[in-house]
Amino acid sequence: MTKLKTALLTTTLVASSVMASNAVLAHKTDRDVTKLAPTSKAWSYVKATTIYLYPQTTIRFNDKRANELNENPHAKEARVKAIYNGRSIAFLLEWPDGTKSIQKGCKSDVYGDGFAVQLPVNYKDASKLPYIGMGSDGRPVVIHLQKAAQPIYEPNGNGDVGMQQGTLNKNKFDKEVEKFDKEVSILAVTDYQRSFISEGFRSMTEIKDGSEKFSADMAYGNNGWKGKVARPLKDDYLKLNGAFPVAFATWDGERLQRDGLKYLSNWIPVKLIGQNGGGKLVEDLTKPVKGDVENGKNLVQQNGCTGCHYIPGLSQPSAMAPGLANIGGYSTAAYLKESIVEPNAVVVPGYNRNAHPNTPWYNVVDGKRVSTMPPYPLDDKSLNDMVAYLKTLKAEVK
Amino acid sequence: MSKRQLAMVMDLNKCIGCQTCTVACKTQWTNRNGREYMYWNNVETYPGTGYPKNWMDLGGGFDAAGDLQAGVVPNIEADYGVPWDYNHDELQFGAELKPNVEPTWGPNWDEDEGAGNFPSDNYFFYIPRICNHCTNPGCLSACPRDAIFKREQDGVVLVDLDRCQGYRYCIAGCPYKKIYFNPKISKSEKCILCFPRVEKGLPPACAQQCVGRIRFVGFLDDKEGQVYKLVHQYKVALPLRSDYGTQPNVYYVPPTEAPPKFDADGRVIKGSNRVPIEELEKLFGKEVHNAMKTLREEKEKRRKTGESELMDILIAYKHEDMFRLDQDYYQSIAKSQGISLAPVDHRYMAGKMTSNKYKFKVVEYD
Repeated sequence: MTKLKTALLTTTLVASSVMASNAVLAHKTDRDVTKLAPTSKAWSYVKATTIYLYPQTTIRFNDKRANELNENPHAKEARVKAIYNGRSIAFLLEWPDGTKSIQKGCKSDVYGDGFAVQLPVNYKDASKLPYIGMGSDGRPVVIHLQKAAQPIYEPNGNGDVGMQQGTLNKNKFDKEVEKFDKEVSILAVTDYQRSFISEGFRSMTEIKDGSEKFSADMAYGNNGWKGKVARPLKDDYLKLNGAFPVAFATWDGERLQRDGLKYLSNWIPVKLIGQNGGGKLVEDLTKPVKGDVENGKNLVQQNGCTGCHYIPGLSQPSAMAPGLANIGGYSTAAYLKESIVEPNAVVVPGYNRNAHPNTPWYNVVDGKRVSTMPPYPLDDKSLNDMVAYLKTLKAEVK
Repeated sequence: MSKRQLAMVMDLNKCIGCQTCTVACKTQWTNRNGREYMYWNNVETYPGTGYPKNWMDLGGGFDAAGDLQAGVVPNIEADYGVPWDYNHDELQFGAELKPNVEPTWGPNWDEDEGAGNFPSDNYFFYIPRICNHCTNPGCLSACPRDAIFKREQDGVVLVDLDRCQGYRYCIAGCPYKKIYFNPKISKSEKCILCFPRVEKGLPPACAQQCVGRIRFVGFLDDKEGQVYKLVHQYKVALPLRSDYGTQPNVYYVPPTEAPPKFDADGRVIKGSNRVPIEELEKLFGKEVHNAMKTLREEKEKRRKTGESELMDILIAYKHEDMFRLDQDYYQSIAKSQGISLAPVDHRYMAGKMTSNKYKFKVVEYD
């Protein structure tokens, strides 16, 4: 531990002189970071970066009770820490949650708290990052998810629950049955801990063949959770070096949150201290947007954005287009600009078309989703002002 | 919409509420692995709370404009009922018979209670319910993961357990509350219309075991089939709560035959019917009038002339006529796709060996 402490202290000093932005600074150590627990002492030597988690309000879900519990939610302030060594990186996310909710027992309407860490496969061009909501076509992300849930029972241990086996359909008797049940229980019980590869929420696929090695854990105390994820810097899916973006999401089980009903951060740059490169990415992701907000607001109204999009105070929620109430909280300026100029670059996975057939969010052309929104090829000044306005659309932090 | 649609017709005039279907389903599918509380098939007393409790008030389905409506995910203790067992093994040692869980609610808690006053006008009838395998399923539309799909070959609605993440929006979206959360595997599960049996030419277990022979199973486009005749030709079989907008594919022959009411002196009120027509309208729509008229006319015709195809169908002489399933049809599909016909839908297996690639391709539905 002393050795780790020293190593961390040195890097901290170097770091603070080099970077003074909102990037998460990943401290270098020569110790194994994969074994770190959320409550490990080592974290106390690492500088935290404050981030904000905004309620994702892209669409309104169809769970009546959950909707009631999530009316006008506030944003949350959370803290991120990161440590890496030559092979792996570990993140610690600390977020407030006044209620510890665990999904357990024979319950149908209980949801666990949880968190996820999202990393883009390609991040060289900060203006073409994947959509924050689990990637987009041609822009994949890797997601690590940990839920506060009782161990999941999957009777053959491969996660393919469609092939469940029970003693009833095995020709087994007496001792054989006991043996079989024992084998099944060893195989079956797994933590609710998953990795996904995703090019947009609908294509999200669980990685189950062991090719994505990560560890995750979460611990509750002092009205908040600490969640840890450790993963390799390089594997079949990701190559993380210099600086790269990361995004975090948390779920509050007490508010019946799951899926898109969650708190979500923007893309946040992580700088690996001691490694070169990535300066431009950090700059692109942290520089404030300058523009005429008032003019931007006028342009948003003049161009009819509020005809389909929900902006509090300007329009009513509809099923036609993504709600923009918190868009400024979890979107980069580049993404907002791209979406105005080229709506088809990212078609946000919204409602199933069967759910709202009269207000189609998209059309399907040659098997691909095409946004119903036309492109708005405006001049740079106008775009900049609109983006500056959209960046102000976010819930208050509480 | 699928290419073909399997459908079931249930004749409510003949349902005696014996729950044989319920038991057939339970022993086949839901007595294990976290499904213990589920009844993919249940028989409820109408009027009554139903299963889960007051399911008709829990939202879901579509409004007249076709927009999916918000709904509620029921609670196991309060709305479904926790399954309990008795200490039979301990009785021989002098123990008192007691349940292992204090029962507070369960399916059929209000069985046979019905409505009205005994003996003048009390009434009830039974409604067996399974998943309706809707043409426009609320569960499918509510699923943000595209984990629910409708099979092209027969319209059976299934959960792709590999994609399901247990969000439970499907439960809120189904107006019939016929999709359930399995807490043990943290995924949603539902009636699969016994597709592994159907693919082998056997009817679903609930239909096979029905002692009253009230259930007919077949393809809706099979004009020789009894299902087609009951639904489309005679129009005596009607969908349940079609106002939910999901286009259900389980059809009911409404309960036409009920005893008359009694007056204060216990005398029969001629021409009266204990089952209020408003209740039947609520369940089956305005079409119930014509359906009941046809049923009565055909019954009269049969009484007078000894002939009525409709009555012969409803008498349900032979299983082979009641169940028109085509094993060759399924085998030809399996052959054309180059797969062996195993009793596991291939989408249950999709993605299970994810490696390094994004195997899942989004399928767009029309």
